Amino acid sequence: MPVPILKQGDCLIASIQSALTDADMLDLRDELSDRVGRFRSKGVIIDVTVLDVLDSFASRTLRTISEMVRLRGAETVIVGIQPGVAFSMVQLGLSLDGVTTVLDLEEGLAHLERSRRARAALAGG
Amino acid sequence: MAATRPRVHADGLAEAIGLGPAELAMRKRFLEFDDSDVHRLAEIYDLTQEHVDQVIEGFYDHLLSFPETAAFFRDPRLLEHVKGRQKEYFIRLTQGDYEQEYVADRLRLGSIHEKIGLPVRSFLGMYAFYLRQIAGLLLKEHSEDPDQAFETFHSLAKLLFFDIGLGVDIYIYQRERTIALQQEAIRELSTPVLTVRDRLLVLPIIGILDTSRAQQLTEGLLKSIRDSRAKVVILDVTGVPAVDSAVANHLLQTVEASRLMGAQVIVTGLSSNVAQALVTLGVDLTKLNAVGDLQGGIEFAERIMGYRVVANGDGLPEVVDAGSDPEAG
Repeated sequence: MPVPILKQGDCLIASIQSALTDADMLDLRDELSDRVGRFRSKGVIIDVTVLDVLDSFASRTLRTISEMVRLRGAETVIVGIQPGVAFSMVQLGLSLDGVTTVLDLEEGLAHLERSRRARAALAGG
Repeated sequence: MAATRPRVHADGLAEAIGLGPAELAMRKRFLEFDDSDVHRLAEIYDLTQEHVDQVIEGFYDHLLSFPETAAFFRDPRLLEHVKGRQKEYFIRLTQGDYEQEYVADRLRLGSIHEKIGLPVRSFLGMYAFYLRQIAGLLLKEHSEDPDQAFETFHSLAKLLFFDIGLGVDIYIYQRERTIALQQEAIRELSTPVLTVRDRLLVLPIIGILDTSRAQQLTEGLLKSIRDSRAKVVILDVTGVPAVDSAVANHLLQTVEASRLMGAQVIVTGLSSNVAQALVTLGVDLTKLNAVGDLQGGIEFAERIMGYRVVANGDGLPEVVDAGSDPEAG
């Protein structure tokens, strides 16, 4: 089942609705990377709230997405990792090093808003 | 501590330890205890009947001559009671039918000894004493045929070792139950998660962390992070006397799992012992955000969260005039 991607201002929000196959993950990666360029987005939020499992392939793909999106000029935030998922991920040694993770969608939007302000400050705006 | 342990009914003991008919048969096979032994033991029934008083009296004289064991039998009524039980036990050894009922009886006896805190060595010493006594009796009885005495002695030794196996099992079972209950109690002394400021949590950890407790603590913390939408968590380990590599790794896992949920962890109160242990263990601690004490940790957390604490006044308690109306001021 493909993941719906919503555009909200200069953010893209990928809201995962159900457990994903590996192929779905790869589609999500390609779709996000493509849309970041098309919409000139500055931030990407991937909401994994409904997932009760994040396996090694999924976490690797999330790292890849984060890195690809960064190279395409935007920032990625993973939101909504559940306690059980976080715990089993660290126990299995699956890291999301270098990927920003925050509590939920609200926090994710707030994080991107802070980044936007920081950019504006840098630009002297 | 044994007093707080809920009792398992004596008849349930065999079941609790897993001593079904198959297990008992296996144990007997292992000791090579068979019908010929049962038969030989039955033959000395009269002999034990005849000497039971002498053996048991001798046994308790022996017990009472050691302060360590004498302490258990100060009460004369208790002494008479246990003597009676021991006599029953002693005669029972030669009465055949060493099946479930016999086993349940042995377990009950072992359980009582464990409960009053009789050391295992004294418990085993009891069997050694019986063997010595009976060896003497048998040799005297069969002075013309030492081979038969030896055979019978062997049969009895097998049975006593069967009993010892049961006794040791019940000791271990009861001790393990005590340990399990204590672990349960420790688990129930939950580690509180305190909210110090909006979205700032403090977890004071007291006592030894083992793997299961550390795991539970992490799970509890992660749920709290979600429920209170925490941004910063202070893990205060002032009350943790020692850590090993497993626990150190758990701390790091907690830190990493919290990060996945968008919260930053600060560890405070690492004692010099613990710090030294962590460094010596060679755990990668670069991800560990440590501050000296809880106060420092809270100040650091407030800085991260953008709080600024300003002293208001001179820091002394306000003097309230006892006569004035607080509402009026």
